[in-house]
Amino acid sequence: MKTVPPTCPEPQTGPQYWRSLDQLADTPEFREWLEKEFPHGAAELADAPNRRQFVKIMSASFLLAGLGLTGCRRPEEKIMPFGRAVPGYVHGVPQYYATAMPARRSAIPLVVRSHDGRPTKIEGNPQHPASNGSTDQFAQASILNLYDPDRATQFKKDGKRASREDVATGLGELAAAARANGGTGLAFLLERGGSPSRDRVIAEVKKALPNARWFVHEPVDFDIHREAATLAFGKPVAPVFHYDKAKVIVSLDCDFIGGEEETYINVRRYAQGRRVTGPNSSMSRLYAVEALFTLTGANADHRLRVAPSAVLNVAAQLAAKVLGRGQTASLVSSLGSLTGAKVADEKWISECANDLLDEHHHGNVLVVAGHRQPLAVHLLAHAMNVALGAVGKTVTFQTLEADGFGKIQDLAAQLDSGSVETLVLVGGNPAYTAPADVNWAQAAAKAKNTVRLGYYEDESFNAKGWHLPQAHFLESWGDARTADGTLVPVQPLIAPLFDAMTELELLARIGGLAKTNPHDIVRETFNGLAGSEENAWRKFLHDGFLAGSAAPAVNATFDTAAVARVLGAAQAAPSAAGSLEVVFHRSYAMDDGRFNNNGWLQETPDPITKLVWDNAVLVSPATAEKLGLGKLGSSKTRDTYKDATGGSNMTPEAKKGQFHNQVVKVTVGGRSVTGPVWIVPGMADNVAGLALGYGREKTGRVGTAQKGGPVGFNAYKLRTSQHPHFAGGATISATGQTHQLASTQEHGVMEGRPIVREANLEQYRKHPDFAKNMDLDSPGHTAHIDMDPAKPGLPKRIYKAPPLTGLHQWGMTIDLTACVGCTACQVACQSENNIPIVGHEQVTKGREMSWMRLDRYFAGDVNNPQVAFQPMLCQHCENAPCESVCPVNATVHDEEGLNLMAYNRCVGTRYCSNNCPYKVRRFNYFDYNRRPLSDLYKSAIDPRNETNGQWEFWRWFKDPSTGSKPKDEWDLMHLAKNPNVSVRMRGVMEKCTFCLQRIEEAKIAQKVKAGPSDDVRVPDGAIKTACQQACPAEAIVFGDISDPDSRVSQMKKLERNYTVLGYLDTRTRNTYLARIRNPNPKMPDYLETTAVQDEYYRKSGSSPFEPHGGHGPAKASAAADHGKGGH
Amino acid sequence: MSHAPTSTAVNIQAPPAELEREPLVANQRSLGWVTDRIAGVCEGKAPLWWWCALIPSFLLFLVGVTCVAYLISTGVGVWGLNHPIAWAWDITNFVWWIGIGHAGTLISAILFLLRQKWRTAVNRAAEAMTIFAVMCAGLYPLIHVGRTWLGWWLLPIPNANGIWPQFRSPLEWDVFAVSTYFTVSLLFWYMGLVPDLAVMRDRAKTWTRKFLYGVFALGWNFSNRHWSNYEKAYLLLAGLSTPLVLSVHSIVSFDFAVSQLPGWHTTIFPPYFVAGAVFSGFGMVLTLLVPLRTICKLEDIITVRHVDLMCKVTLTTGTIVGYAYGMEFFIAYYGGNPYELEAFKYRATGTYWWAYWAMISCNVIFPQLFWFKWFRTNMFAVFVLSIIVNIGMWFERFVIIATTLAREFMPSNWGYFIPTWVDIWTYLGTMGMFMTLFLLFMRYLPMIAICEVKGVTPQADPHHPLGGAKPGGHH
Repeated sequence: MKTVPPTCPEPQTGPQYWRSLDQLADTPEFREWLEKEFPHGAAELADAPNRRQFVKIMSASFLLAGLGLTGCRRPEEKIMPFGRAVPGYVHGVPQYYATAMPARRSAIPLVVRSHDGRPTKIEGNPQHPASNGSTDQFAQASILNLYDPDRATQFKKDGKRASREDVATGLGELAAAARANGGTGLAFLLERGGSPSRDRVIAEVKKALPNARWFVHEPVDFDIHREAATLAFGKPVAPVFHYDKAKVIVSLDCDFIGGEEETYINVRRYAQGRRVTGPNSSMSRLYAVEALFTLTGANADHRLRVAPSAVLNVAAQLAAKVLGRGQTASLVSSLGSLTGAKVADEKWISECANDLLDEHHHGNVLVVAGHRQPLAVHLLAHAMNVALGAVGKTVTFQTLEADGFGKIQDLAAQLDSGSVETLVLVGGNPAYTAPADVNWAQAAAKAKNTVRLGYYEDESFNAKGWHLPQAHFLESWGDARTADGTLVPVQPLIAPLFDAMTELELLARIGGLAKTNPHDIVRETFNGLAGSEENAWRKFLHDGFLAGSAAPAVNATFDTAAVARVLGAAQAAPSAAGSLEVVFHRSYAMDDGRFNNNGWLQETPDPITKLVWDNAVLVSPATAEKLGLGKLGSSKTRDTYKDATGGSNMTPEAKKGQFHNQVVKVTVGGRSVTGPVWIVPGMADNVAGLALGYGREKTGRVGTAQKGGPVGFNAYKLRTSQHPHFAGGATISATGQTHQLASTQEHGVMEGRPIVREANLEQYRKHPDFAKNMDLDSPGHTAHIDMDPAKPGLPKRIYKAPPLTGLHQWGMTIDLTACVGCTACQVACQSENNIPIVGHEQVTKGREMSWMRLDRYFAGDVNNPQVAFQPMLCQHCENAPCESVCPVNATVHDEEGLNLMAYNRCVGTRYCSNNCPYKVRRFNYFDYNRRPLSDLYKSAIDPRNETNGQWEFWRWFKDPSTGSKPKDEWDLMHLAKNPNVSVRMRGVMEKCTFCLQRIEEAKIAQKVKAGPSDDVRVPDGAIKTACQQACPAEAIVFGDISDPDSRVSQMKKLERNYTVLGYLDTRTRNTYLARIRNPNPKMPDYLETTAVQDEYYRKSGSSPFEPHGGHGPAKASAAADHGKGGH
Repeated sequence: MSHAPTSTAVNIQAPPAELEREPLVANQRSLGWVTDRIAGVCEGKAPLWWWCALIPSFLLFLVGVTCVAYLISTGVGVWGLNHPIAWAWDITNFVWWIGIGHAGTLISAILFLLRQKWRTAVNRAAEAMTIFAVMCAGLYPLIHVGRTWLGWWLLPIPNANGIWPQFRSPLEWDVFAVSTYFTVSLLFWYMGLVPDLAVMRDRAKTWTRKFLYGVFALGWNFSNRHWSNYEKAYLLLAGLSTPLVLSVHSIVSFDFAVSQLPGWHTTIFPPYFVAGAVFSGFGMVLTLLVPLRTICKLEDIITVRHVDLMCKVTLTTGTIVGYAYGMEFFIAYYGGNPYELEAFKYRATGTYWWAYWAMISCNVIFPQLFWFKWFRTNMFAVFVLSIIVNIGMWFERFVIIATTLAREFMPSNWGYFIPTWVDIWTYLGTMGMFMTLFLLFMRYLPMIAICEVKGVTPQADPHHPLGGAKPGGHH
């Protein structure tokens, strides 16, 4: 079933080939050859540049682009419609361009794949010094925003469409007026940004308009890290945390793995500090003090749950034990009132302090404070780092340019006073995100002129004044500095799809600057930083960063006095007993609300709650019980280890598999919102977590619930400028209503099954092979079954097996020690493989289509459970249960060990899914790709069903290749798809393919490169699956297992390697590396055996740490007689 | 045409009363009476009750057609299926109908080979029931697939792509098993009908009836030659059908047994399914015939003894099924596979406990009442119990299919099935289709094999005091 490969592109050995052209251009040999081959060409080569040479250079530059991960983008002016083909362009061969996704104060360096001129997949830039090519889930999903049909598409003046010329004129008039009075009455409200060009333009505008006022509003702001460091070290510095170098990490409500900035770097560093390659590996230890159950808490070795306001007390108590020496000793006295109340187990704090102070890892420790915590906590963290000698080792500092912007509440006050005539809103959505005590809508209406640059016509859209659609970063020229200070370009891959303008252009136009073209602005900035040489600029765009531009670490001296001053002024939290606190947190899916209309993210489950398409009032089980808000579901059929988890399945009680949860009213300071309750085991008691970013009143079709109204509730309504992160004195009352929540995982515990296998580091050192001891007896251990002559130790198969004779044998490992559960892989998979979204209602029916799920299991104490994550995808069984039951041969095996799915052949019996023990196959119950989610249940033959203006059946009859989605959605959806992956229709089963398209692409490239030679084996590491590519923790390794030196083969040789449900003799190609935890035996919450392991032990009655029945050939003879008593 | 007992030509002592078997046709009904009574059901004006039954059945059938049209034009998602429960009511109903379709061939073939003469009163109706039930059953695999219009890919048709069905898949075996079963059952049924169609032809009073019955009677003229060929062919077909009775449900059970889910992967399935099928088949036969014998005044042909015997079969097979339920649990415990044990614990005590216990009570506990003769001979009791058996057997399939899928290996992936209105109405629609077909059958075809019943009347037995070929006697 081979398809004829498309015409081969020019070999990807391009660089050598073309380099030699350059080099050889003047050698006699080359000329001789050229004379022989192309007499004309030779004549032309000597001439001055002409058309033919131009074509050559163009194709050469395209080949460079085609090398992958590289790209020189022509200036925006030269972007041609794709109808006029680019010389040398080969259809079907994607190009890759380096760019970056701007973040709040930095950017994520990216390489973006483009097919036929349309960007289709975002990946991290692996050559960037601070990135290993990974991204976070937001970057992966941001490409969908480009193709969002609901984005603002027209320049508007007073609600009416305006042309680009009108905009230029209008802004020109504005600029002229502002120049005339030096910018009096002009106010800018910006988002945070990390672009040197923006800084430069702002500086120039400030020069031109000295009276203009500047404000910044960032609803989820991480600037406190810089603010605290600046204060603590007496000069403007930004801290950089090196989680990889720390042996002990204490997080004070700092969700550096999930909710803070630069998580993709943090996760990578954290995972590096915990990489286990053998029993002698060392691991860092993570202590987390937090209120919510965050990803960081889920990964912590020890977790202390306290109310958010009590983190300060814990920090102070910890500091009191740590700050005993050096310059920070004097601070102990200023801790007095802060350490006051006893809010947590003192032993926990003192043992944690002892671990920090342990001489074994002097200096290699790190205390970090989260952005939700007040300044005092950050200062205490810095003080502890100083006292522990961590500064310069695990914490370094970069110089920071002070910006001096005002806050939104000041702007609102000035608007109210009438001193602002012209309000310029650059990005952001203040009408939605402004603090609740600021009546933004009313204030903003007082400005005479409004100019708004916004991606959506959202809550902040103002019918009067200018509304300018903001260009997506893939359509814009810009630049940024990544977290390490490296300069990266933001270069467009596509001309703006609609009317759009960039931030740089808007600011330059309003400032009346000479240069308003963003490309020129960026170039000028670059020239200023790296010289005006053309090659340097080209290399910058090609590499996606300016080498060596990382900010150097600067020395910083701790300013004890300043810190003491702040600490002295800080107040201890009021006695928290009984008071209910709410925490406003950044959503793992919506961020601060900017991704509200992004379907991929709406359908990406929250890593802890597994909720999609909603936020909820998160409470602990004890609090829920106290307030009568429901309870956790019970786990039936579990009697042998009820004492382990109290018989709870750790998810809220479901009725018939559905979560119809109580809707409650949360009131803080006289303001209230209503939302459904979700019980999270392990949350701090008397705390309610409210995710931001939901409840958008004016958003697109995705952010609008299927039955009308917004998706989720708006927690901003409770958030004041006084208490932006958490607030006490809240009340929760039941409303008597219920709301159905969609969760992708209904059962929260593993029921003692050896699916995720865990051990503590000490146990692992003693019993490195514990994971294999947890295998159930497989048929291979049964004497009466004949053995497979080809596969020693495995039983003979019933059916003739497909010959696994391919040159490559693909396999994968997933390191559960490294995986932090961040969900970037899931979104990457969705983007790469054209996976549709299905909507809230379908998820409640369990019909989500994700090929990869992140299973989250709780274990242990309901009040403080341990969490295990497991990415679950098609295991590519060699002995695949799905294949033998498909009646039409739609799922088959290839000779390279891949379990293939021929969508065209599938008739949809779903038997394969039933027989898949991992349940990783997903069925298209409806035409998710073609029909609007609101119309899924509307029959095509129903004449009343007029979608898109015509009867669906008639539409289908006329042209079956179209869909009934609204035209704008349909057109844009087309652009977003990866052309190398079939888009599946209804009635078809689908599943993970190990990114077959990437495998084939690499194989073809290698064959082309090999030419007549036999060197067709794809080198190790040349193929990265989408999930692997995105994984910041490098937990996923894919490669050729027939090559003993490949990374994946090395991983599979590790003792921790195991197969899930291997006893079924599925012979999976994907295996897992058992999870190792590193708890401190002295801690009060130390578990000698991890909770997961304990559950297993109770259930099976056998311990993986005792010899009992061997599996490996080495043990088989001696231990086999023992049998497996417990099973 | 009544035969008054005449003085015997040959003087044979009648056996003592306590040894005498209850005759298969009661009240010493004459052969002519038998013909009149049975053929009479199909003649004359249709009675009111028939219209009252047919119209709702047909409307129900139309609802079913609408549901299927909606399903096919919209997507399988209109049913309540999900991940992980990718089969629920669709396959439950498929297996349920197939099981019902079991009794017909069992009665007509196996009982024929075993010389169980009482079969003659019920075999025709049971066979018709089989055919209609298999039609209902066959509908489900066809419509439950995601792309119905490509369902023919399951047939081994040589094609340009060189792709064949996958013969390792039990679903593929199903295609052959069910289609073979249907074909053979249909042939068997039709062949048995031929002499009776000739009777109907001969009794016809309108030209249309005469023509239509005549066409299908294939020129039958009751000649000895016809009878002798007929009997041979009947015996051969009975021999052919007998293994099918065992194979079809064994193969249906392979859909589950060949998979590897805890709760499905069990070697006991084939015999257990066959027993269950016979059980449910007899349940349905009783459900249909108990009221019909009264309504159509056929009590003398389908006697209490017939019902009693069928109840005994039901009791036997129900008990076998009960044994299988117990054995499944024992093996789950004894086999030592924790996943299997969990699956069975879940069945009995998990969120679907009600379905499991409905099944146990309907299939194992209630049929035990058939130990008592009173329950076997009280028509009302039999009717109620037969309905219970039908319900129980539906639950059995539901328990096996849906609850197994709801919880198997990966706890992260456990789910729950809730039927939608389309699920429910599609199911009711197949009942409507079944009832419509059955009502049409009983109205237009003799629902009891006239010729065969005559063969088992006391007077047909030459050794019987009343029987024997006598000069002037006739069939």
